[in-house]
Amino acid sequence: MTGAHSVRVFAVCHAAGAAPLAGLRGHAGGGAVRRLRAGALAAVVQAVPAAEFTPEALRGHLSDRASLERFARAHHEVVAAVAAAGPAVPVPLTTLYADEDRARQAITEAAPRFLAALKRVAGRDEWGVKVFATAPAGGGAEAAGGPPPAGTGRSGRAYLDLLRERQRARETRRDTVHAEVERIDAALRACAADARRLRTHGPDLTGAQHPQVLNAAYLVDRSRSAELAATVAALRGGTERGAPLRIELTGPWAPYSFAEEDEQRPAERAGGGGGRP
Amino acid sequence: MIEPLVAHEPADACPPRAANLADILERVLDKGIVIAGDIKINLLDIELLTIRLRLFISSVDTAKKAGIDWWETEPALSSRAARDALAEENSRLRDRVEALERQREEER
Repeated sequence: MTGAHSVRVFAVCHAAGAAPLAGLRGHAGGGAVRRLRAGALAAVVQAVPAAEFTPEALRGHLSDRASLERFARAHHEVVAAVAAAGPAVPVPLTTLYADEDRARQAITEAAPRFLAALKRVAGRDEWGVKVFATAPAGGGAEAAGGPPPAGTGRSGRAYLDLLRERQRARETRRDTVHAEVERIDAALRACAADARRLRTHGPDLTGAQHPQVLNAAYLVDRSRSAELAATVAALRGGTERGAPLRIELTGPWAPYSFAEEDEQRPAERAGGGGGRP
Repeated sequence: MIEPLVAHEPADACPPRAANLADILERVLDKGIVIAGDIKINLLDIELLTIRLRLFISSVDTAKKAGIDWWETEPALSSRAARDALAEENSRLRDRVEALERQREEER
């Protein structure tokens, strides 16, 4: 069946770039993943069945967890391969055009942004760092506001004192964690050309036991990847200030988080840290 | 469920296929350069929003119910909020005491 096709865009690189695209599958049921010239730029694209990419169909796909995962991983696989071969700027998952001419036109119109981004990310990788607070033993229980322990007397004052005590302990823990997070972020920024704060993942995803207290992305020169890894290792060994934290490093990623100028999206203002030092 | 995340050393050429779905989603959905497409899907569409909420947005209410509000990334804000709650309770109690005292005065 040869129905109508739409053009799905994955990433944009310099026209001279030569990422090996053979073997990339992209969207199952689509055509070959290939390069589409647009002036000084080239887009990595794929023809996909239009019927699967109507707004309604797409909404359906993206609302279904298994389908969303397939779409996301297909996109990510192509983007990662292109970025591994040279400077590349990803576009979001739902960047689709009626035909190649329309895709070329859209990319040409946005050429200055793409060229600036390519310059910014050349020779650099994105690394993800997530920090989890591993709750101190008993910390959760006393924070949960359980019944006052026996023997606290029955006076209202004693009860209020107890509440205040708990509140103070909670604040102290929070401040300690916060200070550690800022210290970790500062140490990692020192290895990086740029940094962004991402939304922290909620307890649904991380489990309530280990809340995520930092979700950050760092843009790091390839020549400094080892330095970043060493810094993370040192930080892991040096959470000696009493805040039990777990630090996770992921990457290298294509420079997803650094494609746009830092325009301080509200989501990236977690902790007031986003932006340049 | 989402598989546990594996940390990778810089020796890896690119993230393996087992990269954590949440990490991938937060990048492919709305990072990168946004250009107007022909096929418009509003990322704030309700179903997608639901997914993203489920994945990324930590509900303070949920966290509080679980008793883990101590880690919030804005200690200044949340400490103040906590203090405000105490102050509010305090002022409510004062009002009640005052009302009770007035009542007793009137009863005399």
